[in-house]
Amino acid sequence: MGAGARERGGKRRTSWAPYLLTLPGTAWLFVFFAVPMATMFAVSLQEGSIETGYTLTWHWPTYAEVFDLYRLQLFRSLMYGLIVTLATLLISYPMAYWIARRGGRRKNLFLLLILLPFFTPFLIRTISWQFVLADQGILLGTLKDLGAVSESFKLLASPVAVVSGLTYNFLPFMALPLYVAIERLDPSLLDAAHDLYSSRATAFFKVTLPLSLPGVFAGSLLTFIPSVGDFINAEFLGSSTTTMIGNVIQREFLVNVDYPDGAALSFLLMAGILVMVFLYARSLGTEELTG
Amino acid sequence: MGAQQAEVGSRAMTAPAPARRRRRRREWFLPAFTGLVMAYLFVPVIVMALFGFNDYRGRFNLVWQGFTLEHYRNTFGIPELTESLTNSLIVAATSTVVATVLGTLVALALTRFSFRGRAPLNLLIFVPMATPEIILGVSLLALFVSVQVPRGMMTIIIAHIMFCVSYVVVTVKARTTGFDRNLEDAAQDLGATPWTSFWTVTFPLIFPGILAAAMLAFVLSIDDYVITTFLAGGTVTLPLWIYGISRFGVPAQVNVIGTLIFAIGVVYVVVSVLRSRRANAPPPVLTKG
Amino acid sequence: MDERDREELKRLIARHPRRVSRRDLLRRMGIGAGALSMAAWLSACGIEGESGGGGGGENGSGFSTNKVVGELNFANWPGYIDKKGGGSPTLEQFTKETGIEVNYQTVISDNLSFYGTIREPLASGQEIEWDIIVVTDWLINQMANLGYLEELDHSLLPNFEANAGEIYKDPTYDPGNTHSVPWQSGITGIAYNVELTGRDITSVNDLFDPQFKGKVGMLKEMRDTMNLVLLGLGINPEDATIEDAEAAQQKLLEQQEAGIVRQYYGNEYLAPLANGDLAVTMAWSGDVLGKTIGNPNIKFTVADEGGILWVDNMAIPQGAAHPIDAHKMMDFVYQPEIAAQIEAWVNYICPVPAAQDILKKANDSYTRKVASSPLVFPTPEMEERLHHYKNLDPEEEEQWNALFDEVIQR
Repeated sequence: MGAGARERGGKRRTSWAPYLLTLPGTAWLFVFFAVPMATMFAVSLQEGSIETGYTLTWHWPTYAEVFDLYRLQLFRSLMYGLIVTLATLLISYPMAYWIARRGGRRKNLFLLLILLPFFTPFLIRTISWQFVLADQGILLGTLKDLGAVSESFKLLASPVAVVSGLTYNFLPFMALPLYVAIERLDPSLLDAAHDLYSSRATAFFKVTLPLSLPGVFAGSLLTFIPSVGDFINAEFLGSSTTTMIGNVIQREFLVNVDYPDGAALSFLLMAGILVMVFLYARSLGTEELTG
Repeated sequence: MGAQQAEVGSRAMTAPAPARRRRRRREWFLPAFTGLVMAYLFVPVIVMALFGFNDYRGRFNLVWQGFTLEHYRNTFGIPELTESLTNSLIVAATSTVVATVLGTLVALALTRFSFRGRAPLNLLIFVPMATPEIILGVSLLALFVSVQVPRGMMTIIIAHIMFCVSYVVVTVKARTTGFDRNLEDAAQDLGATPWTSFWTVTFPLIFPGILAAAMLAFVLSIDDYVITTFLAGGTVTLPLWIYGISRFGVPAQVNVIGTLIFAIGVVYVVVSVLRSRRANAPPPVLTKG
Repeated sequence: MDERDREELKRLIARHPRRVSRRDLLRRMGIGAGALSMAAWLSACGIEGESGGGGGGENGSGFSTNKVVGELNFANWPGYIDKKGGGSPTLEQFTKETGIEVNYQTVISDNLSFYGTIREPLASGQEIEWDIIVVTDWLINQMANLGYLEELDHSLLPNFEANAGEIYKDPTYDPGNTHSVPWQSGITGIAYNVELTGRDITSVNDLFDPQFKGKVGMLKEMRDTMNLVLLGLGINPEDATIEDAEAAQQKLLEQQEAGIVRQYYGNEYLAPLANGDLAVTMAWSGDVLGKTIGNPNIKFTVADEGGILWVDNMAIPQGAAHPIDAHKMMDFVYQPEIAAQIEAWVNYICPVPAAQDILKKANDSYTRKVASSPLVFPTPEMEERLHHYKNLDPEEEEQWNALFDEVIQR
């Protein structure tokens, strides 16, 4: 204690004030986030069944077993997450760039327009996609009538549908951090870059892109993490061959009521995500994890 | 998302860089691309809204059969849907209020004080946002199971507060960081007590940030399916009801309610844009950051 | 306790009602005379799951109360009761006649997911919020064996005794209807869109026809899919061995690898069937027969190899707060007029044969058609073609589930 008086104006504030202010929120997060994570870790090392009760036996082999059973779904989820992150980046960057640099006084409007569709509940949006992409639906039905695709062509129940659904649903998580990062850049700096480099492309890749990397990084995290753990898109738009790790975890907990298996899988998922994020952070050379 | 939203409000008046002629000429690709993406974003919403007016027969609202306002007249004609909506509103309202209070206090402490334990605190706030929802849900389930707490409305609210707090902290922090403490000092030099100076100076300044955070918390809560599904017990919220009924044929009332929620979003956008327009006028003396 | 004892323990607990199991189990494990005090110790430590559900024991029935409370929490599947406007005439009539308010929730969309929501509180002896649940026969059997269901007081069910069809009394999954009475019964068969198939479907093997690649639906309920595929293989599911189950799995895997199957569904196969995403799919009789699909090209058939007959039953979870109110409801729907009213809307198999005559006198032709459908009131010829699910012991169940999980979660 006692470190609180360093800041300007702090002299009037007693040093316990910050602790008092943070206590309720911190306590809440501790009890309902940190403690559950620890509990889940303990559960992953238990054995038993719901009828016989669970006992903590430090049964590490559960991890190996569930990894062996479900590594395909785990890798598939990480792969889908990667593709989704890349796709949202490619779609959002030009849009965020244009809005931030050329949006003028309508910037706000454009930005809110991107957000607006996401006021519709997540499930309704996904069900709506299911409807749009149906074999004889408004998209494929029309294309089939025009003869653009063969009669047997389908989008639903395929990896393409799952990845597009995820891309759609997590797009704003990429677009917003990108926008903020690009909008923050000093226009005169970019002008100088244009004067310095002959082509706009060079100027973009040498100056704009590197400077917006924190936004890219924040956006990638916000997109990658939720999409890897998602199970709704795979359920509504996919098939049994697009099962993601989220579907498996959900089934273990809610249908099979096998808590140790589900908990171990959850930690494997976390581990997978952390490894990917770490590699990504290293390759971008940014330490700014909090965006 | 929230942080950025708050950010946007404050940056609205940045003047665009003087565009140079030779660049302007070739600029058709980016606007066209942006337009396309926006169209793509609105596809499912338009479909949803449209089929809220469909005069369909039977269980499936899949083929356009004619225009009707029947589902709007009868929006609350399905008692279970209405009940789930009520449940969702109770959950969202309660968790928004609690999360906003808890999160704002933390954000104030983080921006106005330097104290030991900031780093672990920042971590505790950041990690829940970087954890997949499914893991937040199952870990809470594991906790409630092991201490034998029955699941229901209470456990849903607890969970929603938990995942909203972090977003509130980040959003409010974005607003308070740029805040000039001289104003508060000045108020106190003029004889105000810290309490008065907080309510008369500080609070009005950070209020937009708190409002944005509350809005975000509300949206996050009312839309949550993944975490809720693990903690609901027998309580059915709107997303849970829609999920259940989607296996059986979604009634048009769901489209109507979706459209109404969307309409609230539209109102929010219009109000925000109008307000930022007004902000383009010479800013009030106190506005800074 | 070594590994074998653990196994034995699990099996015993899985097979016997809880109340008996502890003592029985301890006796069997040779602990002998000290067992009773041990059991007392166990329950003192709170390990004993169920404590008679509140004030049980004293009133002799073991119910939490033996009075009508005026409240009933009823968990059922969607589309499983008559509807008019926003409500259900049956439920409204029930409330009017008995004064019992019904909180009717359609929270069950498949057996296991619903069971998952109540299993853990039941296992730890907590009261769950439902007074009546509706689940399929095999799950009734499992839950009753685990002591998760109240025993019914048949003196409160005169209409059931008087009006239930003979085949619904004393079923093998619940001898003497000790824990359950049927709500509806149905047939697992095949539905198809004749416009897309171009021909009538007659065989289970049509589900494996490459001609329908990507447009075939199968069910996510392990028992339905495995048993129907076994029928297609010429095996009577009731006599199936684990080798037969493996053969069925093989067939399902081939179907998947050839891209024939589109997805494994719960009730949600209906929308893709209605909009043309599916040409042929496994289906439950009442869903498709209903006027609800609104597409005359969609037909339901019981394949030449046969179909599966199952029964969804009402039961009272252990420790339910309103057991007498629940009995009132169970008995109420066994009045022929009420059964007919539900049947005209639901179109599954009615457990009250007398409802048929009432429906035959209906004014509208659709209801009269329902009354004469062998899928709603099965004829003897139809009954002959119907099989039951294989009765799985816990070990078999685990094996079959593992085989099936491999198919649906790739």
